[in-house]
Amino acid sequence: MTEDYNELDFEQSQALNVEIKEDPKKFLTFLSDGLTFAIDATNVGEIITNYPITMVPNVPSFIKGIINLRGQIIPIIDIRERMHKPPLYEIDTSCIIVLDINSTSIGIFVDAVSHVVDIYESNISPMPPNSSQELVKGMMSLTKEMVILFLDCELLLQ
Amino acid sequence: MDNGMENMLDMYLFETNSLLEQLDEVLLDAEKADTFTTDNVNEIFRIMHTIKGSSAMMEFSSLMTIAHRIEDLFFFIRENTIDSIDEEHKRELFDLMFFSTDMLRAEVEKLENNEPLTSNVDSFVEKVNSFLNKISNKTDDTTTSDDKKAENDEKTENSAVNLPEDGSGAFLKVTFDEGCGMENLRAFMLVTAVKDIYENLTFYPPDVETNPETSSIIIEKGFLLGFDTKETLDAALNTVQSSGNVQSYEVLMPPHVEKKEKEVATKEKKETDTQNVSVTPKVQAPAQQSSNANAMQHIGANKQSLISVNLSKLDKLMDLMGELVITESMVTSSPELQGLKLDSFTKSARQLKKLTGDLQDTVMSIRMIPVAGAFQKMNRIVRDMSKSLNKDVRLTIIGEDTEVDKTIVDSIGDPIMHMVRNSMDHGIEKTAEERVLAGKKAQGEIILSAEHTGNEVIITIQDDGQGADPAKILEKARRNGILTKPESEYSQKEVLALLMAPGFSTNEQVTEYSGRGVGMDVVKKNIEKIAGTVTITSELGKGMCTTMRIPLTMSIVDGMEVSVGKSIFTIPISNIQQSFKIMPEEIIYDAQGQEIVKRMDNFYPIIRVHRLYNIDTEITNLEDGIIIWVGEGDKSYCLFVDELIGEQQVVVKPLPSYLNSYNIKQSGIAGCTILGDGNISIILDITTLHHTANDYAY
Repeated sequence: MTEDYNELDFEQSQALNVEIKEDPKKFLTFLSDGLTFAIDATNVGEIITNYPITMVPNVPSFIKGIINLRGQIIPIIDIRERMHKPPLYEIDTSCIIVLDINSTSIGIFVDAVSHVVDIYESNISPMPPNSSQELVKGMMSLTKEMVILFLDCELLLQ
Repeated sequence: MDNGMENMLDMYLFETNSLLEQLDEVLLDAEKADTFTTDNVNEIFRIMHTIKGSSAMMEFSSLMTIAHRIEDLFFFIRENTIDSIDEEHKRELFDLMFFSTDMLRAEVEKLENNEPLTSNVDSFVEKVNSFLNKISNKTDDTTTSDDKKAENDEKTENSAVNLPEDGSGAFLKVTFDEGCGMENLRAFMLVTAVKDIYENLTFYPPDVETNPETSSIIIEKGFLLGFDTKETLDAALNTVQSSGNVQSYEVLMPPHVEKKEKEVATKEKKETDTQNVSVTPKVQAPAQQSSNANAMQHIGANKQSLISVNLSKLDKLMDLMGELVITESMVTSSPELQGLKLDSFTKSARQLKKLTGDLQDTVMSIRMIPVAGAFQKMNRIVRDMSKSLNKDVRLTIIGEDTEVDKTIVDSIGDPIMHMVRNSMDHGIEKTAEERVLAGKKAQGEIILSAEHTGNEVIITIQDDGQGADPAKILEKARRNGILTKPESEYSQKEVLALLMAPGFSTNEQVTEYSGRGVGMDVVKKNIEKIAGTVTITSELGKGMCTTMRIPLTMSIVDGMEVSVGKSIFTIPISNIQQSFKIMPEEIIYDAQGQEIVKRMDNFYPIIRVHRLYNIDTEITNLEDGIIIWVGEGDKSYCLFVDELIGEQQVVVKPLPSYLNSYNIKQSGIAGCTILGDGNISIILDITTLHHTANDYAY
């Protein structure tokens, strides 16, 4: 029994010998306009739904407005519009992910949140050159059909 | 203990800083008058004495030494009156004093930054000494306080010769604290205390109880206590040591006793000598402390009703106040109470509202201090720069008692200093002839003013110098590559705004005072940090005026809630003149189709908020909504909104900093607030809204 277990362990580490040196990182994945994005879970404060958004005049259209999160005023960005896609109107699954980036709070409005995945950072490939995709710093295929795009939180703030 | 020490340090820094500020004021006043009055001298003496005392207590030797030397210097001046110093030396004295306050300040700054203090201040001591020598030679005074020890020795000799022959076997010469006052009475108290131990005490001058003039004798020669033997004297020493205001004392032997003793045993004499030497320093320390305590008491008398509080506690208090106001309106305007008739509830609610209002006013006033502190410092800068740049400039300060929040006073110091330096360096013409040729007074003028207008404080720095040359600014901007559009498209306003663009500094050469490459963009940034705005106006040849508008920390304002479409806006009540319905026939159109309304014999444009901010609303006919007449003077106009919701006290919250990059401050939005029901309302800034509306092509 013990031997078996050891053998299995050994095989596994053989197969994953590249990644074994680092701990996996947790990422939150969400959907926006048919694409799957992932965001470093350490940046995620909370996920909220059904919050009244107050619009702010004279700002770019991707800023949907501000919300009052327990006394804190947080700006909300429509991630679709930020990526120059048609805006999203509220649907059942849509929600706001509140991010905490360098002690600045910001909310992103997304189609739906999927789940939290463990990802080895070394498996993330850089974006192909000449990609005009803003805000994305890397990509990775999770399953055959599914490609995850990694959001660069810091760029989001600029 | 650590904590206690830190508090002590805080107290020390606070006290020393305020003393240094006082000192600066005294010096500047004195310099204006070209001489020190007796009051000035006494004041400086007192300040230095206090700094010396507290520095000694905190064991900051450099500060103590500097203060001590100046104290000596002013002791000398006080003794010989200021008139004994001739003009040339006076000027030197002023420079020396400014130099020494700078040194003290630099040392204090080091303390604040936790840096090690300068260990060697010899060069400074040397400077003061040589100056003292210079002036003391002039006055032919034999008792210079330059070297206290020498003076003491001399006095010792004098008094040793003058010791009264009354058969006493030992004398004690007591010196009281300098300037403690009523020396004769203090001496008498000492006598009464010592008489408890030794009855046959003799003392000189003998009539201290009745004759106040003996004070001066005591100050000059010390107070003599006669004992029959050395032993009784020793017994009384403790009493003398513990009585107040005794600076030092010396044991003196009458010549005959001394001689006898010498004959008897030279060894013993040596002992007395060593005692004489060792006693003085021992006593000096406690005496120092008691004098220090005295000085503290003196301050205490003035400031007894003041306590110093950590600013973070006040911030916390302010935050809590804000939450309280929000919660109050949540409770009193709770939707669950709608339509209920609750007489006693309404009554209590009104009472609560009044109380929170009072509380809020008090909390707010706690944090308010006059801007004088920040303004007075500029006197010094103008003085120093006038000298080194050889320009004759006068600084006029207006409204220095305008009260603003403590954080504002702290953060406007640097920007004001920067602007004043700019004016001194680049603004005011290089020579008086240039000014006269331009038809101005030979003396340049910089006006620094502060005033309140409703909910903001306006600080202006104005000079009557040469002003900014738009052509030069444009050229410079082009060279630095910060132009964003063709030169010809820049308006005068935009050109001046370039001055505050990062990477712009109009001076060709880096000078000592301004033009270090970090230009006015830093000023702008600093002011924006406290939510203010900076504008520059200038006319070539006439001068330049920088205006800083800073919102007071009126973080709670009375606002009128209005709705436009689904949005709710808050207009500060203080900005509202009137609100009214309008009839179609009252609307006047100008050539551009701009709607105008006549009110009190004046015409005001109507700004449609829904159009300005692109808000969907069903109410687009002017007669269906409400017109609100806002603003004052030439910035007066009318806003068109859907309807009035009601008056409410709101807590101003800044918009998230993320939005600041979209220039939201310039588009008429002052901040936002959370309403009783948790929704957000945007607070309109009437002044900038007007600008935005003007820029809009109607």
